[in-house]
Amino acid sequence: MNPRPSTSTPIPMANLNALSEGSPRLIDGAALDYLTIELVNTLRASSALATARIKAVEQELLDAGLTISQSPSGPPLPSKKEKGDLAGHRDSTTSLVSLKGSKLGLDEEDEPLRLRLEAIGMHVGANICERLCRDRGLFTDTLDMIKFICKDLWATCWDKQVDNLRTNHRGVYVLQDNSFKPIARISSWEGRPESIRRARLYAILPAGIIRGALARLGLNATVTPEITTLPQCTFQVKLPKGA
Amino acid sequence: MATTSKQYKAIGDDIWKSRTEKINAELFALTYGALVVQLIQDYEDYAEVNKQLEKMGYNIGTRLIEDFLARSALGRCADFREVGEVVAKVGFKSFLNITPTVTHSQPQPSGSRPPSQANPTGSSFILTLDENPLAEFVELPEEALEGGLWFSNVLCGVLRGALEMVQMQVQAEFLSDVLKGDESTQIQVRLLKYLEEEVPVGDD
Repeated sequence: MNPRPSTSTPIPMANLNALSEGSPRLIDGAALDYLTIELVNTLRASSALATARIKAVEQELLDAGLTISQSPSGPPLPSKKEKGDLAGHRDSTTSLVSLKGSKLGLDEEDEPLRLRLEAIGMHVGANICERLCRDRGLFTDTLDMIKFICKDLWATCWDKQVDNLRTNHRGVYVLQDNSFKPIARISSWEGRPESIRRARLYAILPAGIIRGALARLGLNATVTPEITTLPQCTFQVKLPKGA
Repeated sequence: MATTSKQYKAIGDDIWKSRTEKINAELFALTYGALVVQLIQDYEDYAEVNKQLEKMGYNIGTRLIEDFLARSALGRCADFREVGEVVAKVGFKSFLNITPTVTHSQPQPSGSRPPSQANPTGSSFILTLDENPLAEFVELPEEALEGGLWFSNVLCGVLRGALEMVQMQVQAEFLSDVLKGDESTQIQVRLLKYLEEEVPVGDD
């Protein structure tokens, strides 16, 4: 139907935009950096407020003698088991975040913030993915989809392609980017561990983007970002069985 | 004035072409849109969302101005009219790749505010945005329209924050927005006063 070449070329961003839009719309990269930085701060405040409100309502219910069975975006102090339900997939993967969670990982009270960042990422990823897919052919298999994420989505969002893709052929893919753009400029005067701790916060939204894109392709994956040395970032993509 | 205006346009185009690292505007638009939705859910109050977006913009503006000065290497503006030209033709162009139309208005002769400086306060300009990269995919639901949401209110904050860092206290607000069914998208920037250079509190 479309005479022009399909995607999965080394420079898909220019091609795809040309295909879909005629002329690509661009803006300054620093503008997005500023937005992301303040977005995290703004969401931290808003999530704290929303969490406090939910807690207040729960307290009201308790005072009225009612018991709460389950709250969807509950307060940050649930028991271990409840937390597992909330975080869902995150428990199942052994990441550095969960291993060193108390020392280097994100604080407990950041959980509502994490959920919000991931949700925003998923929304962005799903829609970007849909626009990228518009003029390309059907995917042949799961690996084809993952490759699409590594090449096309990566290039659109983060200006380059994934440096290394590994898989165990049983539904786990590890995507490694040796210089991941969203965390490339993060540093801290408090030293490297602190820089990495901060970088983890900024890797959540990208993880959401990947997860959202895969979801729009029909794969209900879990995506866990891991950072051990800046500016390198790996994403562990875990597909449900049988995918 | 016509020549300077043209010069600024050339400066803006040049910065955009040679001194910016460009990214996909859709990524930016979608991220911002998702943020606004999240804030609406968290605050459950459109006025508060407007306030938060403005505050967020202010924080962005206070940093972005340094980037702007470094890239443009422009000096101090002679008057507020020139500020308007620079904001539209260099500022908006280099960051968002759009050039809003500027409409200047002179202060009323009988100043309602006390004139504190040699420069006349109360001057203002209106930026008319023909296109808005933030609102690329946006259609506001009835509820948000009735609630009085200014979707792109972050821009007002950016203007206020950035200009405050160069000693101008301004009031920036949306007059209209095509998302609300208006004919055009307009931001009014009004000069309140020029600020004195001060040592920050507790910074000895």
